[in-house]
Amino acid sequence: MSTKEKIKKILVEELNLEDITPEEIMDDAPLFGDGLGLDSLDAVELVVLVQKHFGVEIKDMDEGRPALQSVDSLAAFIEAKSRL
Amino acid sequence: MPKVEGKKEKPQGRWSSRSVGRPWQHRFFYLLIRFGGRRAAYFFLYFVVGYYILCRPDQRRKAHFYLRRRFPDVTPGELLVHDFRMFLSLGRVLIDRAAVGILGPQAVTFTITGKEELLALVAEHKGLILMTAHVGCWQGAMSALAFLHLPVALLMQREEGDIDRHFFEHGGIASPYRIIDPRGFLGGSLEMLEVLKRGEVLSMMGDRFQGSDRNVTTVKFLGGNIRLPFAAYKLASVTGAPIGVLVSAKTGPDAYRIFLAGVIRVPPGLGREKEAFSLYAARFAQILEDYVQEYPYQFFNFYDLWEAEIG
Repeated sequence: MSTKEKIKKILVEELNLEDITPEEIMDDAPLFGDGLGLDSLDAVELVVLVQKHFGVEIKDMDEGRPALQSVDSLAAFIEAKSRL
Repeated sequence: MPKVEGKKEKPQGRWSSRSVGRPWQHRFFYLLIRFGGRRAAYFFLYFVVGYYILCRPDQRRKAHFYLRRRFPDVTPGELLVHDFRMFLSLGRVLIDRAAVGILGPQAVTFTITGKEELLALVAEHKGLILMTAHVGCWQGAMSALAFLHLPVALLMQREEGDIDRHFFEHGGIASPYRIIDPRGFLGGSLEMLEVLKRGEVLSMMGDRFQGSDRNVTTVKFLGGNIRLPFAAYKLASVTGAPIGVLVSAKTGPDAYRIFLAGVIRVPPGLGREKEAFSLYAARFAQILEDYVQEYPYQFFNFYDLWEAEIG
């Protein structure tokens, strides 16, 4: 399973997104706002889930802001961190 | 975490943190404190309170939402007395707060109980969420946290045009705490998480919410349903941080009591449903209810917490 697929699965199953399947999530859809409709509390949960499932820590705002834009950006962040 | 960037939700705009006074009125009191001391300001406060009681029924009505709940069988005459005591209490707290900044910390004595418990919570190294409310002199409570020897971050939104000054602004000193603006990226949630992950102190108000109905849960308070934010409980669940409920109360002319009114521990893995956090918000509401039984005139929420549409 690719990083993107795994992220989508986590979003649907662990953040309990309703009326959407992992396959239906667009890679470049915004995670927050009008995209998937996640909110600020979901962001907290997502940061913890990323650490739990990928062993990658989003340390601060500087890392979080660009990483938490879309599945694309989050996957790129995780893969870059994993290579370190 | 009041700001929500997501689904369209009902906006919330029932309360305002903006002061009702005019800038010159505030400056007048600051000058009084500087040159006449706190008691001179207290003296003039009676005239101001008298004006609000006699000439500002709109402001009195704002107090009645709470007072009619706290004193359910009140007569109109008694309500007038409650109004007076409530406004006087608020005015004195604001004067004391300004006096700390203008005259120095010796202007008011803060006695803290629960220090050992707070230090024990900090020693868990999971961060500490200090939850407080608009009761007593909450900023005084914030100013008395130096004994924790940890940075303190405060979630606070300052409204545009607000002329009210914080105590440290009077003294021209830097804010003793870092302010996280809930209007920032993702409602400041990542900054708050960062604070707790570093094992530091995050202070949040537990009695008001802004922006969205989505991140609130309904609990009982003074015989009716109110909505309280559950962001603190969510953060606690995710990080393992304990929540210390810290409140303050004016107990004498120049004395305040700051006390740890309770510790709330939230288990991990509660998910994203608001119902999961109701139990913890209800505990906070119970602490507030106990507080207002002891200090009925130091609860400073001048809006209808019990809106009719709440089920």
